Amino acid sequence: MNNESQKITTPRQGKTYTIPIGPVHPALKEPIEFSFELDGERIVGVDIRPGYAHRGIEFMGMKRNLIQVLYLSERICGICSISHPLALTQAVENAAGIEVPPRAQYIRTIIGELERIQSHLLWAGVAAHELGFDTLLHLTWKVREKVMDLLEDLTGNRVDYAIPIFGGVRRDIPAAKGDLAHAVLRYYRDLLQGLMDAFLEDKSVEMRTRHVGALSRGDALRLCAVGPTARAAGVEKDVRQDMPYFAYADLEVRAITPRDFEQEPVGDVFDTIIVRLLEVAQSIEIVERALCEMPEGELVSIPKVAALLSFLKKAEGEGIGRHEAPRGEVFHYVRLEAGIEEPIVWKVKAPTYSNLMAWVPKFMGAEVADIPIIAASIDPCMCCMDRVHVADRSGRASIRMKEELIRLSREKTRRILG
Amino acid sequence: MTPEALLSTFREAFGEKILSTRTVTHSVGRERHAVHNVWIEMGRETLHDAVAHLTSFSHLHLSVISGDDLGEAIAFNYHFAVGFGERFGEVVLTIRVVVPKGDLRLPTLTDLIPGALTSEREKQEFFGVVVEGIPDPRHLFLPQEATFHPWRKDEAAAIGRETRHLVDWETPHE
Repeated sequence: MNNESQKITTPRQGKTYTIPIGPVHPALKEPIEFSFELDGERIVGVDIRPGYAHRGIEFMGMKRNLIQVLYLSERICGICSISHPLALTQAVENAAGIEVPPRAQYIRTIIGELERIQSHLLWAGVAAHELGFDTLLHLTWKVREKVMDLLEDLTGNRVDYAIPIFGGVRRDIPAAKGDLAHAVLRYYRDLLQGLMDAFLEDKSVEMRTRHVGALSRGDALRLCAVGPTARAAGVEKDVRQDMPYFAYADLEVRAITPRDFEQEPVGDVFDTIIVRLLEVAQSIEIVERALCEMPEGELVSIPKVAALLSFLKKAEGEGIGRHEAPRGEVFHYVRLEAGIEEPIVWKVKAPTYSNLMAWVPKFMGAEVADIPIIAASIDPCMCCMDRVHVADRSGRASIRMKEELIRLSREKTRRILG
Repeated sequence: MTPEALLSTFREAFGEKILSTRTVTHSVGRERHAVHNVWIEMGRETLHDAVAHLTSFSHLHLSVISGDDLGEAIAFNYHFAVGFGERFGEVVLTIRVVVPKGDLRLPTLTDLIPGALTSEREKQEFFGVVVEGIPDPRHLFLPQEATFHPWRKDEAAAIGRETRHLVDWETPHE
């Protein structure tokens, strides 16, 4: 251990110092910079600086026709690659007054929920890895492959499914594919209890995540938190419940909180695990019901792309589209003007945008070794940190590799297990 | 909360200060359930009072603020979700405030909704509006030293110097 890292573990009475973590980061796929103010090992302040992955996608979208914007929206995020198109298509359909046939609404729901299953399993694996529980990471990611294969079977792709189009969907789910889906859902139904036990009955997982990164219900509401982050804090907020769309309007989805696991919510990392795993079970149920109850009928209201483009060019108005993505509310706003192919305004709001500020109370009072798991608790993106820059008070910078932070985190696991 | 109830509390509290209202209803699902979007246009000076009024009877979730460069003015749309916790219990309410370009100021809402900070910082850097009373005025997404405002349509020249054309057919900036 070098001198600078020894400084970190030495408590300083009354004096604090700052370590920057990121922009390339231990727990997030996307770069983001944290600046932690520490008193010894305790976090007493945090400043968050996003923007390192700002690609100007809305700016690009306002220079392209709506069908090109649809494909662009699919590439905002790899993990939620159907969530953005689902919100965008709703916004444009609302602005232009396009109806979506019921069968298409069910297909959108099915793909959206399958995405939730893969995203939550991905997140659970990352969380296990952050804690040093790599057998659980490998188990979770091994079982995740089944739903990825199913998505590939249904849409042709593991990610970027290219399913929604304005006014419907681009592919049907025929009966034979439905049977395939039922088999995969049975597979998950059978193994889910074991997975829940592995996460929620394990002493070391509990010790590392209980009362770590807690978010109160009041803070979740004041800071406009969304998705599992808000629900773990006991906020019964879920777009699928509060303002249903697609098949959710028929299927009666309910927001899941830790109360469904007979726990009073505290909004800590453990609660976010509870919520996400219960939501996998919920998604299995939604997809099974949607497959059984899916009505026959048209897939798209304007089948020819050229006709759709010319219809959209004549459209005028503004619309909002919202979707409950795996991480929370995705929000798109568009304004269209007649005679102009490009959207005049396209505003995209991703769930992490809303949860950014909820990080601050979650980090406060935590230890340095808990930074990776708390950072990960909000966002299920895969871990992709290369290195951490650590600067001491004189401004001298050194570089700390990802392995060292992970090692600190694992040492803590071993320490508390004795 | 129904859109009618929402609008009637607004009319009672603000009367003439409401410039326009509009309720848009969409049908969803096989059963064609109705969901509602409410749009209200108000003056900048009424915005803070309107949000205070909303927070007095319901939890208010600010999804995001969107901005729309109209040429001589910029419209800011505050997209709220009012009410949550029960099926079909939520109404999306958009309060639209139009601000002239010669006097680009907005009041901060962070005293009522601390979570508004992210979106207010973004509007400052992307439109050059001054959010009065904002607790943290730094840039959020753009570099601190950036002086151009990417979503302003009258700054195409400055934006053009800062961005690259990604494809040949893209219209060159003037």
